[in-house]
Amino acid sequence: MSECNVAEVKPAEVKFAARERGGIINPMYDCQPAGAQYAGIGVKDCIPLVHGGQGCTMFVRLLFAQHFKENFDVASTSLHEDSAVFGGAKRVQEGVMVLARRYPNLRLIPIITTCSTEVIGDDIEGTINICNKALKAEFPDRQIYLAPVHTPSFKGSHVSGYAECMKSIVKTVATKKGEPTGKLNVLPGWVNPGDVVLLKRYLKEMGIDHHIFMDTEDFDSPMLPGKTIETHGRTTVEDIQDSANAIGTLSLARYESDSAAKYLKDEFEVPMHAVDTPYGIQNTDAMLRKLAEITGKPIPDSLVHERGIALDAMADLAHMFFANKKVAIFGHPDLVLGLATFCMELEMEPSLLLIGDDQGSKYKKDARIKALKETADFDMEIIHNADLWELEKRIKDGAKYDLIMGHSKGRYVAIDANIPMVRVGFPTFDRAGLYRKPTMGYQGAMELAEACANAMFAHMEYTRNKEWILNTW
Amino acid sequence: MMEDRIDDLFGYVEERCLWQFFSRTWDRQENIDGVLGQAERLLSGKEPVRETPMDKLFYADALVMVNDFRERFPWIREVEPEEVRELLDGLKARLVDVTITRSTNRELNHHLY
Amino acid sequence: MPMVLLECDKDIPERQKHIYLKAPNEDTREFLPIANAATIPGTLSERGCAFCGAKLVIGGVLKDTIQMIHGPLGCAYDTWHTKRYPTDNGHFNMKYVWSTDMKESHIVFGGEKRLEQSINEAFDEMPDIKRMIVYTTCPTALIGDDIKAVTKKVMRERPDVDIFTVECPGFAGVSQSKGHHVLNIGWINEKVDTLEKEITSEYTMNFIGDFNIQGDTQLLQTYWDRLGIQVIAHFTGNGTYDDLRCMQQAKLNVVNCARSSGYIANELKKRYGIPRLDIDSWGFNYMAEGIRKICAFFGIEERGEALIAEEYAKWKPKLDWYKERLKGTRMAIWTGGPRLWHWTKSVEDDLGVQVVAMSSKFGHEEDFEKVIARGQEGTYYIDDGNELEFFEIIEHVKPDVIFTGPRVGELVKKLHIPYVNGHAYHNGPYMGFEGFVNLARDMYNAVYNPIRHLAAIDIRDANPKAMPDRVREAA
Repeated sequence: MSECNVAEVKPAEVKFAARERGGIINPMYDCQPAGAQYAGIGVKDCIPLVHGGQGCTMFVRLLFAQHFKENFDVASTSLHEDSAVFGGAKRVQEGVMVLARRYPNLRLIPIITTCSTEVIGDDIEGTINICNKALKAEFPDRQIYLAPVHTPSFKGSHVSGYAECMKSIVKTVATKKGEPTGKLNVLPGWVNPGDVVLLKRYLKEMGIDHHIFMDTEDFDSPMLPGKTIETHGRTTVEDIQDSANAIGTLSLARYESDSAAKYLKDEFEVPMHAVDTPYGIQNTDAMLRKLAEITGKPIPDSLVHERGIALDAMADLAHMFFANKKVAIFGHPDLVLGLATFCMELEMEPSLLLIGDDQGSKYKKDARIKALKETADFDMEIIHNADLWELEKRIKDGAKYDLIMGHSKGRYVAIDANIPMVRVGFPTFDRAGLYRKPTMGYQGAMELAEACANAMFAHMEYTRNKEWILNTW
Repeated sequence: MMEDRIDDLFGYVEERCLWQFFSRTWDRQENIDGVLGQAERLLSGKEPVRETPMDKLFYADALVMVNDFRERFPWIREVEPEEVRELLDGLKARLVDVTITRSTNRELNHHLY
Repeated sequence: MPMVLLECDKDIPERQKHIYLKAPNEDTREFLPIANAATIPGTLSERGCAFCGAKLVIGGVLKDTIQMIHGPLGCAYDTWHTKRYPTDNGHFNMKYVWSTDMKESHIVFGGEKRLEQSINEAFDEMPDIKRMIVYTTCPTALIGDDIKAVTKKVMRERPDVDIFTVECPGFAGVSQSKGHHVLNIGWINEKVDTLEKEITSEYTMNFIGDFNIQGDTQLLQTYWDRLGIQVIAHFTGNGTYDDLRCMQQAKLNVVNCARSSGYIANELKKRYGIPRLDIDSWGFNYMAEGIRKICAFFGIEERGEALIAEEYAKWKPKLDWYKERLKGTRMAIWTGGPRLWHWTKSVEDDLGVQVVAMSSKFGHEEDFEKVIARGQEGTYYIDDGNELEFFEIIEHVKPDVIFTGPRVGELVKKLHIPYVNGHAYHNGPYMGFEGFVNLARDMYNAVYNPIRHLAAIDIRDANPKAMPDRVREAA
């Protein structure tokens, strides 16, 4: 708790730096092909085919299963030594044909490269041409799209891999401009079903006809009396084709969805509207204002009401419990930067932000980072190209954080240092049902704030630290 | 009758004994010879050999097997010492045929482990 | 035709060689599934890669060793938080993973400097840790980084550290099995017989092929302690790097998982004359048999009998309680390989459970010889089963419970079939006497769970399906 000494006032410092170590201890992200697979499973009747060793697929499927408690279909070309020597194009061809033959409803196969097949230099585009001819000969009545997705693991991370696959799918499937649909493309980035459901509700309440790419609502799927399996993306091939004919594209994640939105703008003149990812009140405000601006539709009373409910709940928590609490946040950059704003709305001090992969120069241009530098009245470190050791090392060296926000891969930092932690982002396999909870929008902000408060309350009780405050709250 | 008895013993070994399924033919042969050799001594009332480490290993495997034989197949108590060898030779022939001679396991003869 | 071509495999007829339905009066001389063969691309196989066989399965279990993965970050990320092998020193092995975070420039110009830097950083950041295993991955193997040269240089500069290298990229071999092999053979060639430890008992053994899943090793260790047997090295459950350098000192090698670790036992026999004793550590009957054999080897049979009697007295009534309720349960086992043959007979003998289908991800033909010898007639034996085959097999055999991984578990949940984690367990340990009661309990709780029956009810039906007569009882 705070010391009562009056500290000397010094100007707040915001440090922006890269991880200094070359190696990684405890990575924050998986590699590009993993992100590409996540984008791929968001489409209905789609099975991504990963061109690489079997582990590149098996572990990623396991990761998705850990997070969603669901199974998703992803195939592998099962690269072996002979392909490493002679090239693996034949295995791609065989994989495509085997998938097409055994899955009669299949309509899209993103062909996802990995480090090994990029190093070998397999010609994916050439192989796709060969496959397309073979598919046409064997299945004249079926159109199966093959999307080349170049995701060498030695570039970027699963964040950029997601963006790459999104873009390639759009590029492959949305090939011609047709009749305007009057619909809005909404690209939320790599989010949970809970956020997709929330965004759909907001759009519905505003009366905006839309497609969400990717619509992952069914990643939370039921056990049904008929034993049908509905665990798959809801985005259809037609939805993607239609994306070229939309009234605009709203991109909610700079590092995950902007590139696909930009492609639609450049290729089909679909206006692109990029807003900061709607975590917290102000970011949500900005998104709704943007929606109103794009469509000319007013923000409905229902959302004004919901905003008020959220603020009312957050006000109960902010200066009583959250003020001046130091928070360390790690995860996807769009999430972390959004949560930093969210924390500041709650009077917390996001003092350590760990964001990822190697896009240092890109981050420098990120207006959100600039804004944080300008508005933070407390010391803040933003570490890019970070790993989780950046957090653990600081704690071992004496840094104090009152709360950690991040995904489950950082759980032991919180456990060993006995710091309350709120699971948010991907993956969150060590907490039940989080994929169902929204983190975006007013409702998401409220629920996340309450999750933070409850984590701190439980911690007060377990550590007998003024737990009696809650006797009367 | 001898064939039925060999069937009994073979059925037991097939179900329970991992030593017959070592990775290479020579290990399988060594185990079959070693364990059945000790089993023969035990079943004939002779002292098992327990000098080298491998003797002890085969004794350990044989002891458990022979005790199980006695428990599961009461007829074995009646077997005369001179018949024991014939019985175990029959068992050995079956084991060698199944796990070595006619095994289609493609790794059995690789010269390295 | 007992080799089976499933309907879903009509377009990949070579799968017929991998699926066997056992019929009376047949044996493996006529019908043995082809195993340890390349997977058909695009089949949605369950297999992992060779790298994970080395790192995740064996090396990464060690409780005092940095796992430095020379490659892009994904190989490290993916082989972290996917296993349940605790240690008695606070689970160092599960908390950390290290990557050289290879980027494009390292691929172009070589990654050896990056590796050297990462190794030194790792030792600097964790000064108490002095042991490391370095693994290659697909890209670093393809560009030909000489990781041995790098580690030798570091060891010269840091005399207090010891580093082992595993050159086993993910594309090597056909499954994780290749990685087991490379690590086994590398270790015996380079590290065994480089250290000696204090011998505290005249009875010494290595326990090989047990990875302390949910405490298996630690539970079995209580038996060895009571028997007065010194375990020189655990390969590798709750094990240390240096213990594994002393494996030559043991008088006996006891092997549980022959698939992942039989190689090192074979080599220890060949090079040091240490006998290899294979046992099954899952199941009452089997565990007792294993203890009897170990004790007979050392000539301490009476100690073994005393231990078995104590354990039976304590746990057998509990086991029988479950057996009474599990009799006739139809079980499928879809795991790596050895658990098929370890379990099929033990669940049958100890629990009255009938195993109706088994699929192995990385077993070899030897594993199929074992499991077909032990398993029942009318049961499917599948090498490298894939998703559509699983659906079809389920239709054929209608299992009551499936022991498999969590992802497949999520899949079969939709079919109202409960699963028990056959790799990492639900609530283990599962080895030993107490462990097998745990397995029985988890199977019972799965089979008798009310939710699967509730899921079958359509609330719109006027006459909904009744809940079953057999209901869950408090154990």
